[in-house]
Amino acid sequence: MFFLGKKNKELDKFADLLEQGTVALFKERGDLRFSSDPVKSKRRIIEFEGKMRADGMEKFDNEPTYVSAVNFYASERDMEKKKTLGALVVYVEQSYIAKMMKLLKYPPIDDESDAAMQDSCGTLCNIISGRFKSEISSAGYIELEMSHFMNYRNSAFAGVDFCFNEFDMCEISFNLDNVKRLVIDMTMGAVPKLR
Amino acid sequence: MEELNHGKILVVDDSDLERELLIEVLKGAGVQNAFLQAKTGEEAIEILGTHFKEVGLILLDWQMPKMSGMEFMEAVVKVPQVASKAIIMVTASGTDENKKKAWAVNPNLVGYVVKPYTPESLLDVIYPFVQLKSSD
Repeated sequence: MFFLGKKNKELDKFADLLEQGTVALFKERGDLRFSSDPVKSKRRIIEFEGKMRADGMEKFDNEPTYVSAVNFYASERDMEKKKTLGALVVYVEQSYIAKMMKLLKYPPIDDESDAAMQDSCGTLCNIISGRFKSEISSAGYIELEMSHFMNYRNSAFAGVDFCFNEFDMCEISFNLDNVKRLVIDMTMGAVPKLR
Repeated sequence: MEELNHGKILVVDDSDLERELLIEVLKGAGVQNAFLQAKTGEEAIEILGTHFKEVGLILLDWQMPKMSGMEFMEAVVKVPQVASKAIIMVTASGTDENKKKAWAVNPNLVGYVVKPYTPESLLDVIYPFVQLKSSD
């Protein structure tokens, strides 16, 4: 018999936690306020050979984009077994990544260096994911384990690991100066509550 | 703690930008110590192998490829000489559970700083282990 695990019925709640964590992070790190409320939309996960498709160029009208991803796991044991519970993917347009990091008060980066810009996107993904993990824990769920960041240019060519029970993900777009500057895709399996 | 606060500071983080930021913040605050850098726990162990006596403080990220900060600590606590090195975690994982886990792995951990940090919060923890310009 084909068995499906427990599906997460709280994706919207996790999207709210991600949004509030990201807004707070930008305020604390760079005293930055997004110019309008972030836009959330639920989308179907596009699966390819067991991985979630993560295409950055389609987020920014086919402009070159940096993409970084982090995975979440329910425990260290699951992390060792690569039993993925969630994924968070950050997309920033190539032409804006240096400015965004400057606004977040990071040292200047070489905007002609692909490695430096990939590293910047990964750094951003890491702090957003860390904050999201803390928000989840504060909301009364178990402590998740988090992977290191993985960086790509334009798209994650081999896809991103995700929880096979899930069919939906949430996309959140953030505007600075009334222009879409940051997009985050997030999918999460059912996270147990702390007893 | 002999000449601990004159030792080199080993910054271990897979993000080039976070390492750069950390060093910039510390230099900006008047920290005089020299710095060494590693991108993974494995690299940090290699550096300790060759610069063991020079390193006075290790600033350690958690999530890194190949060998995470936690795996690095699990490895170093088994070696008594290395276990005595001052280690401060500087990580985006900032929950109480994470902190408990870090101290459980390494009871000698001297501090835990959560990214994003302010220069003040970093200096508060790091102060006893560094040489500041004003204290020359």
